[in-house]
Amino acid sequence: MISQSHQTPPERIGGVLQGITVIELCGARGQFMAKLMGDMGARVIKIEPLGGAPERQIGPFMDDAPHPDRSLFFWAHNTSKESLELNIEAPEGRKIIRRLAATADVILEDFEPGYLPSLGLGYKNLSAGNERLVMTSLTAFGQDGPYRDYKSTDIVALAMGGIMHSCGYDDLPGSPPIRPSGDHGDKIASHYGLMGTLAAIFNRHFSGKGQYIDVSAHEACNSTTEHALPTYLYEGENVFRQTGRHHSTTPTPKTLCKTSDGKYVIVFQLFNNLHSWLSLVRWMGDVGMAEDLQEERYKDMARGGSRGMRAAPDTTDSDHAFEVVRRFIASQTAKDIYRGAQNLKFPWGEVRSPEENLNDPHFAEDRQMFADIPHPELGEGVSFKYVGRPYRFTESPWNAFRPPLVGEHTELILSVDLEYSEQDLKTLELNGIISSNQNQRSKDLT
Amino acid sequence: MSEPQTLLRKGALEGVRVIDFSWIVAGPQCTRILGDFGADVIKIENDANMDYIRASRPVGGSSSPNRSPLFTTLNRNKRSLTLNVMHPRGMELLKELIKKSDVIVENFSSRVLEKWGLGYEEQKKINPQIIYCSMSGFGHTGRDRDFVTWGPTAQALSGLTFMSGLPGEESAGWGFSYMDHTGGFYGTIAIMMALIHRNKTGVGQHIDLSQVESGIALTGTSVLDYTVNNRPFRRDEMPPGNRAPDRRIAPHNTYPCKGDDRWCVIAVTNEDEWGSLVDAVGNPGWASEDRFASMESRSANQESLDAFIAEWTINHSPHEVFDILQKAGVPAGAVQTPMERAEKDPQLKHRDFIAEIPHEELGKARVESIPMRMSETPWKLERPSPLLGEHSAEIYTELLDVTPEELITLYEEGIA
Repeated sequence: MISQSHQTPPERIGGVLQGITVIELCGARGQFMAKLMGDMGARVIKIEPLGGAPERQIGPFMDDAPHPDRSLFFWAHNTSKESLELNIEAPEGRKIIRRLAATADVILEDFEPGYLPSLGLGYKNLSAGNERLVMTSLTAFGQDGPYRDYKSTDIVALAMGGIMHSCGYDDLPGSPPIRPSGDHGDKIASHYGLMGTLAAIFNRHFSGKGQYIDVSAHEACNSTTEHALPTYLYEGENVFRQTGRHHSTTPTPKTLCKTSDGKYVIVFQLFNNLHSWLSLVRWMGDVGMAEDLQEERYKDMARGGSRGMRAAPDTTDSDHAFEVVRRFIASQTAKDIYRGAQNLKFPWGEVRSPEENLNDPHFAEDRQMFADIPHPELGEGVSFKYVGRPYRFTESPWNAFRPPLVGEHTELILSVDLEYSEQDLKTLELNGIISSNQNQRSKDLT
Repeated sequence: MSEPQTLLRKGALEGVRVIDFSWIVAGPQCTRILGDFGADVIKIENDANMDYIRASRPVGGSSSPNRSPLFTTLNRNKRSLTLNVMHPRGMELLKELIKKSDVIVENFSSRVLEKWGLGYEEQKKINPQIIYCSMSGFGHTGRDRDFVTWGPTAQALSGLTFMSGLPGEESAGWGFSYMDHTGGFYGTIAIMMALIHRNKTGVGQHIDLSQVESGIALTGTSVLDYTVNNRPFRRDEMPPGNRAPDRRIAPHNTYPCKGDDRWCVIAVTNEDEWGSLVDAVGNPGWASEDRFASMESRSANQESLDAFIAEWTINHSPHEVFDILQKAGVPAGAVQTPMERAEKDPQLKHRDFIAEIPHEELGKARVESIPMRMSETPWKLERPSPLLGEHSAEIYTELLDVTPEELITLYEEGIA
């Protein structure tokens, strides 16, 4: 028999999405959109194949020990969910999905096009008894078209979507375009999938009717490349990649500047206006590094102003000014340049590694950007710091709980929501519809 | 109860009115999507303080505020109202508009609306159900609330810039303001969540969005590797370039192709795909070497593996690699240029990705469409980006009950 649940899902009082039930059938592409709903109070039931979602095999792992319940990649993208471990290809498994869909608000799925309909689990089937159902399919290329059945991963989406064409180096000969790490192809797709889903939930309040939403990761990335498409569509030119700064059709001044502690800061808008220029030169002068920048011709350039990404018009004077500033920055720490510049209203930033924000008092203390999330399955009082909310609502809490263990809520969901008896559950287990392995896995974990 | 009505709604957010003070990229990206979903987005500017993306690379080098390609794509499906809030009558009219609206969006630095006397508490007095979304760099609370960001600043601080690049080199970062777009998405997401909540409870709220925090929220795995395993992302072998160290899958990289600076990507995620790749490249001898026999050993020897694969890719264009490998069932892609995306990609064409609509000064506006199809409330390119002040007269007279006589005064006194 399945062991007792380690974690009864907490009451989700006050979350903006409280009362909304989501059935999630997602892998790497769509798991994040369901997490974002769960963290804001929706009840998210994640359907996992027997043995757990494949994303549980992706590292890094806690203590570098691979285990489906120790994948930090999985943890980061699956908070605030319940797990139902189920064979959805077997007839009884399909029936369980149909019964859950009958009372659910939302289905999120990212299988290849046609797969769920082939099981009798397409939108037509699932919404037959529940016309309020919203279903979002988040696929690589969309539900139709010549690429519909092509395979994709995060790096394929970022390449085909044009994002990689804009990212990389212009001063490292022969270097490739770069995929920014962090699964952003999947995240961009998830963000759009979530936006469509929320719009449909809002619409349903007035129309009484749900709908089917076909979201393509390919299009999602293609619509997230800023100047690249408008510049081509109106000027007929391709932008090209430039180290650490914006793509452009012409070379722009470098914005990465090295500091005395071997880090970097992003520096731009030197000649924004006279006031800010004078304050910068004063700051440099205070440590004896202003060189000749007090001279009048630089003030004239600052009077001319140049808002936007370019540090200054491309002239010898501005190049020289930038070199002097670069020498000044090289003599200071990244933190001192960052805070000093921000105090003068320059929008400069320190190039931080993600973990360095845990020590930033504004985000970590004042804004409580990191959340301690308990992991009682690993011992009493054990908790870990996760990144927290991407937004702060004054009237509604962000409230995440730890990701589910594989199949942690199978028994609870089937017996409480679908009223299966203990005998029914045994039969499901015998027939390979649900797993009988959970006891063993839990022992492996601790 | 009467019979259920069949309501033909023009968009999912029809009936939602948005006062849009946002400018540059992050805020306009947020309200662009609200407009795409059918909200009535009223973009407020004035002649002295216009969204200065209007001046970004105007077509034909003109000084017109209506010819910027980036502005055009970010501001379609919105109306433009010129209004000077510094004038007392302007402020009165704004307050009238707040009474008739659902959402206020701005991405000024953190104290601007307070200085106008229009902080959230004041807004609530005017319209108790208002949803106010402020999009600042650091949020409206905390010791650094007065610091400011542009997209690249937020990317640098949150960790995203550092995570993009080759090991041992400077950061490659993002080649554009990713966090303006993604920060905008989080604004849209939060506003729609608040609207759903308000439908149920009648309660509005202030959404205090920080662009840096939205970026931090995207670094979950790396932060956990530090808080759980004490392993910082800032270490010798990082960032991982185009490899996938935590997936232990290989090959996974960019590969050079025929042509000047042309590249493809290949990502083999299981043994089946490996077998298909080997067949597709013609079963070369190296592919049967022991050191490439398993995912684990391929991962350990990916330096040599990548060199062999590059010997094959260099003889093909990126799209040849894409076609050959996809037909064989291997995840692969071309690093597509803007030209290829706009002119050639048959999938984007099939899905009508580039949409067109007449535009008074540009002839036609060509913009990327919203990347989804909705069965009940399909997207429409209802209107191109607005000319500055294009809808002032209709909004003043139809929505705010300004008489035609007063309208002239508003223009004369620089209020409208």
